[in-house]
Amino acid sequence: MVYWRIIRKSYHRNLQYRLSHVINNVASSIFGLVFIAIWTGVLSGKQVYGPYDVKTMGYYIAICQSVLWMTTFMSPGLNVQIGVRSGAVSLDMIKPVHYLWYMLSQEFGRLAYNAFYRSVPIGLLLGLAVGFFFPSNPLTYFWFILSLLLGTYVGMLLFYLAGISSFWTTEIRWVHLILLSLIFGLGGQMIPLDLMPGLIGKVAPYLPFSAMIFYPVMTLLELAPPNGMLVQAGWALVLTAVALLVTSMARRKLEIQGG
Amino acid sequence: MFALYRKLIAASIRSQMQYKMNFVTSAATTGMIMVLDFIILSAILYRFNDVVGWNIYEVGMLYGISSASVSLYRLFAPEINDFEKYIVHGELDQLLIRPVSPLLLLMTRNLDLSRVGGLVQGVSVLVISLSGLAAEGKSIVGLVLFSPIAILSGGVIYFSIGLATAGVAFWTQQMKDMLTFTIYAPANASNYPIGLYPNWLKWLFFSALPIAYMNYLPMLTLLGKGGEWFYPLLTPVAAANAFYFSRMLWNVGIRHYHSTGS
Repeated sequence: MVYWRIIRKSYHRNLQYRLSHVINNVASSIFGLVFIAIWTGVLSGKQVYGPYDVKTMGYYIAICQSVLWMTTFMSPGLNVQIGVRSGAVSLDMIKPVHYLWYMLSQEFGRLAYNAFYRSVPIGLLLGLAVGFFFPSNPLTYFWFILSLLLGTYVGMLLFYLAGISSFWTTEIRWVHLILLSLIFGLGGQMIPLDLMPGLIGKVAPYLPFSAMIFYPVMTLLELAPPNGMLVQAGWALVLTAVALLVTSMARRKLEIQGG
Repeated sequence: MFALYRKLIAASIRSQMQYKMNFVTSAATTGMIMVLDFIILSAILYRFNDVVGWNIYEVGMLYGISSASVSLYRLFAPEINDFEKYIVHGELDQLLIRPVSPLLLLMTRNLDLSRVGGLVQGVSVLVISLSGLAAEGKSIVGLVLFSPIAILSGGVIYFSIGLATAGVAFWTQQMKDMLTFTIYAPANASNYPIGLYPNWLKWLFFSALPIAYMNYLPMLTLLGKGGEWFYPLLTPVAAANAFYFSRMLWNVGIRHYHSTGS
């Protein structure tokens, strides 16, 4: 299958950066250690809310930092805007593969690389600090991988939509930054969403950003509410429809402009 | 030297102000993004009241100073933070053949005016925290007087760390990954009391990456958390020290510069 080949090609292309990423993994783990230290300070000597004692929160942050490399640290705009600026996008659009799946496959190859050379090392490094968590039910691993893939997919679509906005604006720097801060602010990085106060705490679990961080982490910790994966799957469907629609609009826009 | 700096920076500001709308939107967006960042911190403190005895207004003092300081650095020295491209693409050659110090040229080449948004956000957090502390019946005169010193010193400290990282880049040929470790992670860590962190990190923040002197150490005294009377005096001293050593490192580094020849 052609998409599988694109994924594998992109994976191998990224393998060349292995060495420089080793340094970066250590630096990224420092972020995790800082977050873990903050939570230890916050939670020590306090009444425990729900399941979040110091140990669980340590696991939460460690898994979160590891998951981020698959679901969140993607290429800005999935690099759609680069093709738009250089005009190369017109060549991609006439390829006999659908543009959306083509760009998603490219990115997924890179994320598969991230999974092995970013998520796993960072997870292991932080695991040394907080201990390793093993789910009691073996089925959890299956659900976790499913939830992780759904989160990655939702993330890719959001980044793709940010990227394809460049057909109309040519600049996505600010769109990308806003998207990123929404993900970090409302996705559950640093703080589990059910600890968020007031209205934010009620709404955030139903936004697409929660699908990218909160639910995958909670699924592995066996703490996810039963409707968690429904939220993820729902957003995956909705965003697929939106992405297909916007892609066909962009295609028409491209034809009018003539590239 | 200073007159030249003023002339060059004025030219840089004039060229940027050709795009006024862009300045307004980018500064507003930066400010908004940083407000979202602060929401997480307030959510944690709202739920749990304090971090190792520091309440939201006290942590807000740390956060406001750090946030304003790092914005000050990113505002005035975007080319230092982005120095990798000068080495990788050999762009430094163009600066070296001019009759002015390359550091001065780098400092005046560009201003990242969108960071004004971050500065406004940091100062706003400070104002909110100060009024909160005043409402608790604390005396805030010292804090108000000290805040500008802390922000300026903090800006110099971040600048020095950035300059030292760029200096090391003369040997390593890259600095983006190093910045995660030297600027971004410390900037994040300094939003909270440094006392929280494991000893080796604490040690780093008091020595090679001296962000503790910017907000944590003086606040121990000024917020009455058992600091010695002279801690606030150490803030500008540490900034001057950091600047001196990073200048030295930079000067050694630039003598080792070999053009990529591309």
